[in-house]
Amino acid sequence: MPYDMLIPLIPLLPILGFAFTALFGRRLQLKFGRTAAEIVPVGLIVAVWVIAMIVVVPALGHAEPFGEKGLDVHLWTWIPAGKLTVEMGFHVDALTACLLIVVTTIGMLVHIYSIGYMAHDKATWRFFAYLNLFMFSMLILVLANNWLLVFGGWELVGLSSYSLIGFWYHKRSAALAAKKAFIVNRVGDVGFALGIMAIFVNTGTLNIAESLRLLVEHGVHNTIPLTVVALLVFCGAMGKSAQFPLHVWLPDAMEGPTPVSALIHAATMVNAGVYLVARANPLFSSAQDAMVVVAGIGIFTAILAASIAFTQTDIKRVLAFSTLSQLGYMFAALGVGAYGAAIFHLMSHGFFKGLLFLGSGSVIHSVDGEQDMNRMGGLWRKIPITHATMLIGTIAIAGIPPLAGFFSKDEILGEAFKSGFYWVWIIGVVVAVMTAFYMWRLMGKTFYGESRVDPAVAPHVHESAWQMTLPLILLSIPSILLGLLVGLPLGNGLLVGWLKPIFAESEEILARTPTESLFGLPVDAVLIVISVAAALAGLLSALYLFGVGSRKVKQDKVDAISSTNGATRFLYRASLNKWWFDELNDLLFIRIGGRVAAFLWWFDRTIVDGTVNGVGTVVKDAGGGLRGIQTGRVQNYALGIAIGLIVMAGSFLLIVGQPR
Amino acid sequence: MLSALNLISQNLNAYLILAGILFAIGTFGFLARRNAIAMLMSIELMLNAVNLAFIAFGAFVYSADAHHAAQASTIALIVMAAAAAEATVGLAIVIAIYRNKKTPLVDEYDAMKR
Repeated sequence: MPYDMLIPLIPLLPILGFAFTALFGRRLQLKFGRTAAEIVPVGLIVAVWVIAMIVVVPALGHAEPFGEKGLDVHLWTWIPAGKLTVEMGFHVDALTACLLIVVTTIGMLVHIYSIGYMAHDKATWRFFAYLNLFMFSMLILVLANNWLLVFGGWELVGLSSYSLIGFWYHKRSAALAAKKAFIVNRVGDVGFALGIMAIFVNTGTLNIAESLRLLVEHGVHNTIPLTVVALLVFCGAMGKSAQFPLHVWLPDAMEGPTPVSALIHAATMVNAGVYLVARANPLFSSAQDAMVVVAGIGIFTAILAASIAFTQTDIKRVLAFSTLSQLGYMFAALGVGAYGAAIFHLMSHGFFKGLLFLGSGSVIHSVDGEQDMNRMGGLWRKIPITHATMLIGTIAIAGIPPLAGFFSKDEILGEAFKSGFYWVWIIGVVVAVMTAFYMWRLMGKTFYGESRVDPAVAPHVHESAWQMTLPLILLSIPSILLGLLVGLPLGNGLLVGWLKPIFAESEEILARTPTESLFGLPVDAVLIVISVAAALAGLLSALYLFGVGSRKVKQDKVDAISSTNGATRFLYRASLNKWWFDELNDLLFIRIGGRVAAFLWWFDRTIVDGTVNGVGTVVKDAGGGLRGIQTGRVQNYALGIAIGLIVMAGSFLLIVGQPR
Repeated sequence: MLSALNLISQNLNAYLILAGILFAIGTFGFLARRNAIAMLMSIELMLNAVNLAFIAFGAFVYSADAHHAAQASTIALIVMAAAAAEATVGLAIVIAIYRNKKTPLVDEYDAMKR
């Protein structure tokens, strides 16, 4: 197989699709209808998926020409500038292949789903052009072999995310959400850009593999300490993957069309940060202080977002906070050195969260655009396919064996425990209980109990078109089977074997000796029992409160719990208001920051400009004033000379001519 | 009276005071008179006041030293020559301006302002 021909095609086809649809899509849609405008972008993405699968299979199996270290495809020299030489090239190894599976599979399914979901929109062609641009950006990010190209893809992903969140730009909230996402991402990107510069300063190269090798080789002799470099790179990851305190953009990004939420804000773009840290794993393993920060921020985001998901009533927002929480898990895994577990969770989460988002889109579509769960309920008989697939997704994310989420989550918790990060493990188990609880709350409020749907809409509730249900069904397959296929036997499954060469160096550096037994029992067994018990506890308590089948939601009990005493009332309000982070940001950056900016503006205007202008004004006015003494009359000058003479002679007499 | 004058003429300070008075009159004339010719005359007065001071110093301070006394007279002669040259040029300029402006009054002359 000519892989160096196939690999460049993977990003090339989507950008061609983008160019074609952007140029001709509108005319095609007006003349020949929607299908004509959709056939090129969707067809190309299907082709990309096929090519990606051809590449992925040998890359995962370490077959030639990929081998254990992966295949480098050099295209051309991009920037030849003295000491700075940047190659345009791609690098495909097992880690890239894992990401390719998630990105192209979910990307393809979302494209197909969008045909149904956007069937009533005027500018379908524009949506598909943006989707193709996003696919291009994401694939560049994943495939790039140098930091600069990664950064290019990184920024392009941000741009296409901006256009897609703000796709319904006539809606003010959507336009604002797009802006918020873009700006918050920039904050992280500044850190990432500085990180790349620091890497270049330390190693003199931007090639990823080469620079990582040199960074580890130089160790403590690096110009810029590795901890600083790692934290800067992590800064970028925090922005894209929406980790605390840069998490505020993701829930608002739900203003975009639901396929966008599924593709970008659940399954692909938000994984970029996880991918980045995993890609730079030798760097992070050499900077263990930075890893503790990664783990801390990850697990904190996990519990923070889970607590907020408890009380949100917008179905997509619940899923958004759940995404934040699961990304927090992944970063916690990266932080404790369980890179493989993080990638495992990335993949399984990509599938089941993509499924849940597409399912929520199907629900929203069926109830005529309503997103508030308080105005749903009792839908399970009316939209059976959506209900069944979302149920699978819910059980998967809750971590009930043998679905995908159980394996990946358990691996993260197990690795955290065995590496001695007990605090990560304890919080992780608590988050597992919370995850199961709020996910069943979503199911209960949406599908079960009595119908609270708007009576005007209720008779029209219908299952979505096949373009929408097919991706749901296809996504539920990996949500069920992925864990069984690549996660068994536990801790030593297929995926671990695939990724072993990528993380071998890190494991060598970290040199952890895992805890093997607990209370005389094998530690894995104990941990599995605990995490399954946690998931079941959360699930069953939510099941009791929010019902199943036609059992009603016990709203009075829910209210009773949330208003037991001052503490619970406070927690309820905190959760409902997302712990006031938007308000905090408003206070810090809009009010206080605005004041500071206004002060600086004033300072610049009055003090800095004032000084410069003042010097000019003084000189000009002095000149203007002195103009008056230039009368042109000889006697005035003579008077000046005479006075000068008298003053000089007089002072000479006074000072020098004093009698001694 | 005559003997008083005789006594005064033996004193250096008397000559210096006279030179000072003459210089002051010259300065005042130069600054205050509007007529260009009168101003030139005032300059002559100032120059002559200085000359008088030179001669007085030559006669009193270096009276025992013929060589230095002669030097004072020489400077006075040079000043006179310079004054004559200056008066010539000055008068020529004044006449040239007079022909242009039709007035001898210097406060009407403001060409230096431009």
